[in-house]
Amino acid sequence: MTTEELTAIKVDKSVDARGTSCPGPLLAAKKAIGQIEKGQVMEVLSADEGTRRDIPKWCNKKGFEYLGTVEESGFFKIFLRK
Amino acid sequence: MENKKLCLALFSGSVDKLTAAGVILGGAAAEDMDVEIYVLLQAAFAFKKENALTNDRVAEITDKKDEFLASLKRLEAPHWTEAFKTAKEMTNVKIHICGFAGKVWNGFKLDDFIDLADDICGIGEYMTSAEEADINLFI
Repeated sequence: MTTEELTAIKVDKSVDARGTSCPGPLLAAKKAIGQIEKGQVMEVLSADEGTRRDIPKWCNKKGFEYLGTVEESGFFKIFLRK
Repeated sequence: MENKKLCLALFSGSVDKLTAAGVILGGAAAEDMDVEIYVLLQAAFAFKKENALTNDRVAEITDKKDEFLASLKRLEAPHWTEAFKTAKEMTNVKIHICGFAGKVWNGFKLDDFIDLADDICGIGEYMTSAEEADINLFI
């Protein structure tokens, strides 16, 4: 998805993991994914560069759809669909 | 689909290596892996109730120990015991204390070790677990 599409997407769950380092954001995502339904969208906010690479791989392994990442000032918004 | 299996032989009793183990456990937890941890020799010291939170020994780059520990604090990295606890809450993690290692550090029963420990075992269980695992690590 494009940055414009991601910015406009309806987010069902937002996980703010900016205060944690690897593997904190990944674990926060894992915890939160159980709280949304299949088809819903979750965003993970992370200031951790490694998480930007981890989440797409994690999605691929777990059968979730990685939608893309938007880089904000000092952090990333990583989008996925359950 | 059956969960992948990680077998971790945890030899080190140093906070740097235990912290690394905690990070890897986090990755395993995120992927719902089944994890078997075998606490060997020096790690058994770190798992003793009286040592787990006070032990601040490091194994590598020892001249920068203070900087390393300060960085962990600055980054709000969880203590390794917390990282292990989180992993146990999120996936199937079993922690086995090697009976011989326990005795080396005067730990003779499960109650001598922190609550994260599930049982005291012999090396035969480790060999079986290592044979069955998809990933084997020695830290």
